[in-house]
Formats: sequence, structure tokens, C-alpha cells
Amino acid sequence: MSLAEASLAETTESLTPEAAQGPDYLAPLRLMRGHLGDSSARLAFAIGLATLGVFAELVPVWAVYRLVAAAVAGTLDWPLVTTHAAIAALGVIVGFAAMGLALGQSHLVAFDVIHRVRLAAARHMARLPLGYFAERPSGDAKKQVVDEPEKLEAIVAHGLPEGVSSVATWLAVSIWLFAVDWRMALAAIVLTPVSFVLLGIGMKRGGTYATAYQRANARMNAAIVEYLAGMPVVKVFNRTRDSFAETSAAARAYADIETRWARAYLPLGGAFYMLVIANIVVILPVGLMLVKAGTLDLPTLLLFVILGANYSQPLLKLFNQFHGLAHIAMGSSAVTDLLAQEPQADSGRRVILRNHDVAFEKVRFGYGQNDVLHGVGFLARTGEVTALVGPSGSGKSTIAALVARFRDVREGNVSIGGVDVRDMAIDQLMETVAFVFQDTFLFSDTIAANIRFGNPDASDDQVRAAAEAARAHDFIMALDHGYDTPLGEQGRTLSGGERQRIAIARAILKDAPVIVLDEATAFADPDNEAAIQDAIAALTKGRTLIVVAHRLHTIMAADQILCIDRGHVAERGRHRQLLEQNGLYARLWEDYLHARNTPLRPANAATITQEAV
Amino acid sequence: MTGQTTIAPSQDVRSDVDSLRRVWALAGLQRGKGLRGKVLRGILYRFFQSLSLGLAFGAMIWVVIDLAAGQVLDWARIGQVCAIVAVSLIGQTVFSYLSAMNAWLASFELASDLRLAILDHLRRLPMGFHLARHKGDTVTVLTSDMQMLESFLSDALPRIAQAFGLPVIVLGYLAWRDWPVALAALVSIALGLPLFAWTSRRLALLGIRRQDTQAEAGARMIEYVQGMAVIRAFNRLAKGEESFRAALADFRDISVRMVMQLTLPLVLFGAVVSLGVPLVMLAAGARNLDGAIDTGTLVTALVLVFSLYSPLLALISVMELTRMADASLTRIDRIMTAQSPPLPVSPKEPQGFAVRFENAGFSYVAGKPVLTDMSFAVPERTMTAVVGPSGSGKSTVLNLLARFWDVDEGRITIGGVDIREMSEERLNSLITVVFQDVFLFTGTVFDNIAFARPGATQAEVEDAAKAACAHDFIMLLPQGYQTRIDEGGGNLSGGERQRISIARAILKGAPIVLLDEATAAIDPTNERAVQQALTSLVAAKTLIVVAHKLGTIRAADQILVVGEGRIAESGSHDALMAAGGRYSNLWNARARSESWRIEGHSSNLATRAH
Repeated sequence: MSLAEASLAETTESLTPEAAQGPDYLAPLRLMRGHLGDSSARLAFAIGLATLGVFAELVPVWAVYRLVAAAVAGTLDWPLVTTHAAIAALGVIVGFAAMGLALGQSHLVAFDVIHRVRLAAARHMARLPLGYFAERPSGDAKKQVVDEPEKLEAIVAHGLPEGVSSVATWLAVSIWLFAVDWRMALAAIVLTPVSFVLLGIGMKRGGTYATAYQRANARMNAAIVEYLAGMPVVKVFNRTRDSFAETSAAARAYADIETRWARAYLPLGGAFYMLVIANIVVILPVGLMLVKAGTLDLPTLLLFVILGANYSQPLLKLFNQFHGLAHIAMGSSAVTDLLAQEPQADSGRRVILRNHDVAFEKVRFGYGQNDVLHGVGFLARTGEVTALVGPSGSGKSTIAALVARFRDVREGNVSIGGVDVRDMAIDQLMETVAFVFQDTFLFSDTIAANIRFGNPDASDDQVRAAAEAARAHDFIMALDHGYDTPLGEQGRTLSGGERQRIAIARAILKDAPVIVLDEATAFADPDNEAAIQDAIAALTKGRTLIVVAHRLHTIMAADQILCIDRGHVAERGRHRQLLEQNGLYARLWEDYLHARNTPLRPANAATITQEAV
Repeated sequence: MTGQTTIAPSQDVRSDVDSLRRVWALAGLQRGKGLRGKVLRGILYRFFQSLSLGLAFGAMIWVVIDLAAGQVLDWARIGQVCAIVAVSLIGQTVFSYLSAMNAWLASFELASDLRLAILDHLRRLPMGFHLARHKGDTVTVLTSDMQMLESFLSDALPRIAQAFGLPVIVLGYLAWRDWPVALAALVSIALGLPLFAWTSRRLALLGIRRQDTQAEAGARMIEYVQGMAVIRAFNRLAKGEESFRAALADFRDISVRMVMQLTLPLVLFGAVVSLGVPLVMLAAGARNLDGAIDTGTLVTALVLVFSLYSPLLALISVMELTRMADASLTRIDRIMTAQSPPLPVSPKEPQGFAVRFENAGFSYVAGKPVLTDMSFAVPERTMTAVVGPSGSGKSTVLNLLARFWDVDEGRITIGGVDIREMSEERLNSLITVVFQDVFLFTGTVFDNIAFARPGATQAEVEDAAKAACAHDFIMLLPQGYQTRIDEGGGNLSGGERQRISIARAILKGAPIVLLDEATAAIDPTNERAVQQALTSLVAAKTLIVVAHKLGTIRAADQILVVGEGRIAESGSHDALMAAGGRYSNLWNARARSESWRIEGHSSNLATRAH
């Protein structure tokens, strides 16, 4: 919605200092042009209609002027009055009808364009490496698909038709006025550039506070977010007064900057809005002098008084649109950037895999400047379990992510069945690998639909069998609507362990030969843990299984345990061998047993301490 | 327009006048600051600005009437007109500046005051209020809604004043010259204003619906984006796109429909008001031809007719601003009208730190009880473990004891005193809660630990950190205790963040510890350190722990097995194992999971499990 965007812009929005970083003001237009599709004719039509509308709105002004001229000349009669009243009424009706129609059309175009941009952005996202999403907050992607394209409405639905029509009309009327009397036209126009110059200076003066404003705004927002996020802790520690004091200091500092900015901007910037509608103060004295000099007649003076006082107003409207432009431009740039992201290379080749061994050869990989993996090599055989263990940050999950090409290696290669994962079609790779994430994502749909996501053609029996294998069937049946229970915002919330079992059922249904479990057993409820383990056991039979785990007893019997430390495979072997080596794995194992079995406090702590007191 | 579309009858929809009244009330919130005066002056000066502009038109009429009557213009007259115009220009300049200054500064002040009032109110509200809301909603109220109010006060309100200022003067003048012409001029306004009010209200209703439907369509798109990893991993782009396309199409269709429904009444309002122009032409023309008014008056009426209507048309652009401000007001009110829990008139002092639940009943949502008739006693300095399936109300026990919510039935006592009869500070000083989700503030490691006790010395903080097994890794950080923690603690591992939060709790030294064990796994070395840290924290305290690792609570003095909102079993580990009920089932399941391992093709799960 944007009827009022302009007016919003007039105050606080114009504070927005993005302009300081120089947004690309043409970005929205380019983005629009790229996604106009077959709507360009309709947009042109809307702009034409809008121009007609603005012209028509000036017809009553002309009709009134004709009456005034006739009255002054003493030639007024009733037919003249009725004719011109009718013309004026027609002008009003045509003007508003055309404007309404134009806005209707331009909105249709706008929403179509937004629709296309969103679709393009969403489709493009589907072709990016998954690492792209891992690297940034999920809110970013949402913004690029949902929020930023929405801003195009202001440009396409309002900015273009209203802007073009305003300027076209203003130019046409200006030319007309100059043709009638160039001296009076000059008088009618002179305040417009003056006011724009004043506004420019005012904005510049206010602009010196842009950085300070940005900082104060960011500080206040961060303070508010932290104030709310930390509320439980703050309350528990009886520190609400202090955290309130801090947050309110940030709020006060923000108000202070606002005030200083206003004091700098207002004296000149505020004058703009006054002067743009004040041109009668020039027209009248100049006009009277020309009348006195005998070079101007009264009807012409009145034409300028009536028309000159009104015709700059559409410009004001146009100008208001510009205020929000910085915001819109930055949004469009963000979308354009997304669309320009290199999609993941896809060979598109379907290849025959002789088995489903997963092999890493001298794999190097890093997120930024620094490598996270320094030459990792191992072979995970078909039908075997390969476990990745190690301290947090050692690179376990990164290795898992490389199997499914969430990222591509920097050096070395990752292959399945002897074929480099980059050489097979992404479709084929995704069919070959099932990946169960630590933070399970379930769609807000029914449980059945979430499981069936693994295989859309699965029958109800197959869905149920997968749920049973994943040890999810029992708790699903205990829900009010069983498999038809909706999940998500309006639906049931499940515990972490339950969600993981649904995710595992989904993976079972997919029936892929290579399975990667990234800490999929991470959630511990005493009653869940055994069930999740059973579920995973069902997944593994006859497949290549790569599992990242902290709960070491789950991987004790793995065919191969890789102990990862700072991007290297530090130790490898079976559980017993590794314990005998008495290295990193042995230490982890000892810590694990200890953490799991040490009581929170000794058996009869109460009595002991009471005696001690 | 679809006439049959059902528009939700909403009490949230205010009339424009009500919105103005509400803003007015908010402006009076801070007594003695003269905010209302500033707001009023902002409007009044804007009115004067219009008057000053009117003065120039007055001078024009004054001279035009005489010119039309055939008088000859002399230089003295021109001089007088120039003087009046000069006064007009000065007046406009001064008053527009004063108006903007007053309105803007008042709006900043008001928003700032309101922000502070809301922040202050928020900290007094029970945790339950915060936990039941999206954090983002509250942030929105404090940021964008406040900006909305600022815009309304600084911009919309003066513009409304301006929209009526010039027309009132012009109408008054016309009425003085010839009331029938004035009456004719009034007709379109009289027809247009009700249309405006109706449209504005309709806009509000449609706005709410549009917001809801958009939110829903938006939510589906967000889900698509967030679920991208899963969609990709399952090779289900087509399926993902199908639901996404539908959501996008809905979004577009709703937007189009709404715009169509809004455009028509707005266009109608504009047209009705503007048709006043030909009407005045007819009326004034007829009166002049009848000889009822002279040419001067006719010319005056015709010249002024645009100054009469165009400010009113400007109301269209204010309308939506008003509605948006109103939506903001509604959201503000939802916070400001929330009740903080009643404070005891004469707070009581607990005798000791024993905890009792006496027939406590509680529900988050009316009609869906989470706890019913929950009774148990925790003697001072003993350890009680709460176990049970997810959703059984384990964590609720902790939430109620910390007074995040108040019980609906029964009572909870500490040291024999109902926790509702203690002062908030006293209760908080008795209890330390260790949450599953660790929250660290932006600031140094030292600040985060010392947060528990203002004025804590370096030595005290270090002692707490040592007890929490955190000292060693802190000393390895670039600046030791003075290392800054990034937003959310991103530069520390999960286990390290937990230990810092435990050090904080240790430093507080409260006699009662409520511990909600984390369910997500961390690496074994970190987990062991966390376990050790917890051991230091809970020593010699009254401890209630929601347990996920059965191995750590075996030695508890009392184990409560919660199920269906009440205590299903209670007793020591040995007693419960002997009873052979739910607890022993859990324990056996654990033993089975201990012996379970992910195995390759060579092994047989079934033989291991038994």
C-alpha cells in the first residue's frame, strides 16, 4: 500500500541514511524491466491514462478561467455558464475515472511484476549451493523473496504512472503558460527551483547527521532486541532496572539525534513545502505591475492566479515519491544480487555408479580465507557405517555437507561409486544421498505429508511402514488426529526427538543408497533416545552410512570411526583399536562416560551438607 | 467489488475520531512536559500558515474586484498589495517553521516517552507475557510502530489541520459575501466527508484482512525458503514450487482485489468533492446573472473555488497514514493494557528454602490444563528430579516456581510463604534458573558473569568461573575476561556458553536452583565440563532439576515422574526401580539404548538388544 508512503517519507523516512552509501536508484527500474513480461503494453496504457487524468483535472481550471474572463469582459450569459460548468464536470469525471482506471491497471502490472520477481528469486534460490543459505540468517532469504519485491509496488503502481503524468502535464502547462505570457509564466514558476534548492540545502545539512542517526538507530534496535531476548535472565538476576536503564539510554540517544537532525533540516527543508504552494505571492505583484504598465489584461492575470497557483501540486506529489526511493532501490539491489549469484554447476549427466562407496581424496575446504579442512581423505564403503567424531568446530559437519554438495571442495575431490559428485547431475546426486539434519525442518502440513515428502508416490501403508521403522508410529497414533495431525504454527508442536524421528521416517521413505546423518541423534529425552536409535538402525541396512555423532555409544560398533581434529583425520579405526591407541578418541570416550554417569551430586549430599553447616 | 466477502467484525477498528482521541491521551501521558501544548501549537501554527496564504488571496480579491469594476490601478494600491503579500510571505515562512518545529519535536518526544513507558512496563510484566508473544512483535511496537506515530503526529495531523484550514476561511468569506453560493460550495463537501469517513473505516477493515491473508501467504513463502535445504535434499523442487507458486498467486490475487476495492471509493470521494467546482460555477453564474451578486463577488467565488477543494483532496493521502497509525496504536495498547501481576501489599519473609507445591493447577490456554492437582514437597537442600515424557509439564513446574506464570489453582510456597506474597526481588534473589537456552549479552565475558552480582570483584568472578570449569578456556581467549562476546555468543561453542552462564549462576549464590537440562548434544569433552560445572552450582542447594540424562539423577533424594499433568510416581531411584512402574521402564529403555550402536551389515541388532 502506498497512498501514504509519500507522506511517510516526508518525515522520519527521509532520515534514512542509506543514501549516504549511494544506493543505485535505477535498480528498481532495471529489475522491473527484466520482469515486465507481457505487461509492458498495459503499463504504457496506465501511464497514458494517468496523463489523460492529470490533464482532465486541469480542464475545470480552464473552464473557470473562461468564466472569469467572460465576467470581467462583461460577456457572461447563461449558456456560457452552463456549457463551461458541463465541461468542468466532464473534466472532473473523466479525470478521476482515468486516474482510477490508470491506478487499477498499474497495480495489476505491479503485482504481476512482483509475482514474477518473486518466482524468479525463489527459482534461482533452488539452483544455488545449499551453503549459500547456511551462511546467512534465514531471514535474508525471506526478505529477498517476500519483502524486497513488495517494495516495487511503489515504483510500478504509483511512481511510474503518477510521475510520468505529473511531469508531462507540468511541462505541457508550463509551455502553454509561456506561450500565453512568458513574463507571467516566469513569475509562476520561479519559486519552484528556489524551493527545490532550499530543500537540497536542508537535506544536505540534515545529512551530516545521517551516520550518527544510523548508529543511534542501530544501537537502539540492538538494545531493544537484547532487552527482550535477555528478559528471563535479567529477571532472574533482579537486574531489570539496569537493563532498562541501558535500553532507555539508547532510546533517548536516538530521540536526541532525531531532534538535532530536525533542527538542522527544518529551517530550509521545511520551507520547501511552504514555498511550493505559495507562488501567488510572486504572481500577484508582478501581474499588477504588468497590468499597470498596460502590457497585461485582467483575464490573463486571473488565468495565472488560478492556474499558476495550482499546477505545481502534482510535482509535490511526485517529489514525495522520491523520498522512499533509497529504500526501494536498496531492496531491488538485494534482489538483483541474489539473481546474479552463480548457480551451482550442474553437469546434468546421469552416470552409472558401480557401487555406493563414498570417497574423500585430499579434500581441502574453507568458508572464508581460512581452510576448515586440510587434506581429508577416507573411504566409506557400501554397507558400512562410517562415524565422524571430534570436538566442536573440528570440521565433522563440514565433511558431511560436502557429500551432498552443500558446498564444493576447494581442492581434492569427493566421489560416490568412483564418480566425482560434481560430474553427476544434481538430480542424481540428490536421489543417491539422503541427508538428515540436526535441526530438523518440518513443513506446516500434516505428519503424513511431511513423511511422504521423502517419496510423493508412497502409499499410506508405505508411509506407515516408514514411520514404524523410524519408531514414530506409536507417538503419532497417540496424537488426536494420528497421521493427519497438522504441524507448525497452528498445529502441534513436537519435541526435538519426535521431530527427528519424523525426519528419519522421511529419509527411510526416500530409500537412498547413501545416508548422511548430521547429529541426527542429538536430542536426548530418556524415552526418545532409544527410539531414535532404533529408527536409525532401520535406515542403515545395506547402505552407505556416514554419521556425525556426539553420543559415542551410538557409534561404538561402526565399521570405521574417524576422529576429526582441526580439519584433519587425527585417528581412524574401530572403537576398540582407538581406545587402545589411548589418543583423542580415548579421551573423548572417557569424558563421555563421565558426563553421562556422574551424579549431579553425591548420593546423600543433603545429609552431608546439613551436618557440615 | 465482491459484496458478499465477509469482513471480520473487529473491535480493533476505530473511527478516525477515536484514533485522534487515543493519540491525544497518549500525548498527555507525561504530565508537566507540555507535549499536548506542543502538538496543539503545531496544528495552530499550521492553521496560521494557511491564514497567511489566505491573506495573499485576500489581497488579490480586493484588487481584482475593483479592477473588474473598471477602476484604474494606481501605484499606491500596488504598493499596498505588495506590502500585504510581503506580510503573507513572512507569515507563511514563520508559521510553517514554527508549526513543523513544534509538531516534529513533539512527535519525537512523544515517541521517545512512549518507548520508555513501554520498555518500563515490559519489565514489570510476567515472563509468561513475553514467552507467549513473538519477540519480533514487541520489537516492532518499539521501533516501526513508534515511527508510525511520529509520522502521524508530525505530518498527518498538521496536514489534516491544513486540509480544513483554508476551506473554512474560504467558506466563511463566501458566506459573508453571498450565502447561497457558499451553500452550493458546501454541498459537495457535505456529500464527500461521510464518504470519506466510510471509506476510511472500510480501508481499516480491508487493511486488517489484507494483513492477515498476506501474512498467511507470506508464511508459506517463508516456509519454502526455510525448507529449501530439505526440498533440495529430497529432490522435490517441483513439489516445493507447487505450494510456493500457489502461495505467490494467492498473494498477488489478494493484493489486486484489495486495491480494486479501495480505489473505487477513493476515486468516488475525489470526484464528488471536485464536482463542487461546476456546481459553484452554476450557482455563482446564476446569482450574477440574476443580479444578486456583482462581478467582483462572482470572480472571487470562482478564483477561490480551487482553494476550497484541493486541500480536502489532500486528505486522501493522509487517510492511509491515519489507518496505519491506528494499527500501531492497537498494537501499543495490547502491551500497555497487559496486567502485571499484583504486588503483595505487605511482602512476607520466607522461613527457610523448602519448596512445596500444594494442589497446583495450571493451564497456558484455558480449558487445556497442563498441571492438575500437583502436590509435592522439596525439603531444604535436597535434590528433586522431575522426569516424564515431552509435553508432560516438567518445565512448567520450573516456570511456575520462578513465577513466569501464576498457578490457577492451589499454591506454591517457599519457606512456608506463598510465592505470590513475596516481593518480586525477594523471590528472584532466592532462585537461580539455569535455562536450556543460554543467553549471553553483548559485552565482555567478565560483564556476563558479574551480571549476577553488581560490584563483583575480579577475584569473585574468577572463582565462579573456576567452579564452572570456565576459567581455563576464558584465559585462552584473546583478551581473557575482557574478551567481548559477539551478539548471541557466536564466538564461543555451545558448551563454553553454557559454562559461562553456569558461572553467572554460581556467582549469584541463590539458595534454590532450578535446572532445565539441555537436550541437545555437545561434544563429550564440553559435556563433561558442563556436568562438572553444574555439580559445583548445585552443591548444598535446594535443587529441582528437569532431567534428560537419567544417569545424573540416580542419586536424587526424590524423583518425580510426571504424567498427564500430575505426579504419577515419586520416590528414590531404588524405590522406583523396585516398584517397576514408568520410571523403571525409562531406565530399562536407557540401558537398552546404552547397549545399542549403529552397526554395519555384519552385525545383527536384534541379538545385541536382548
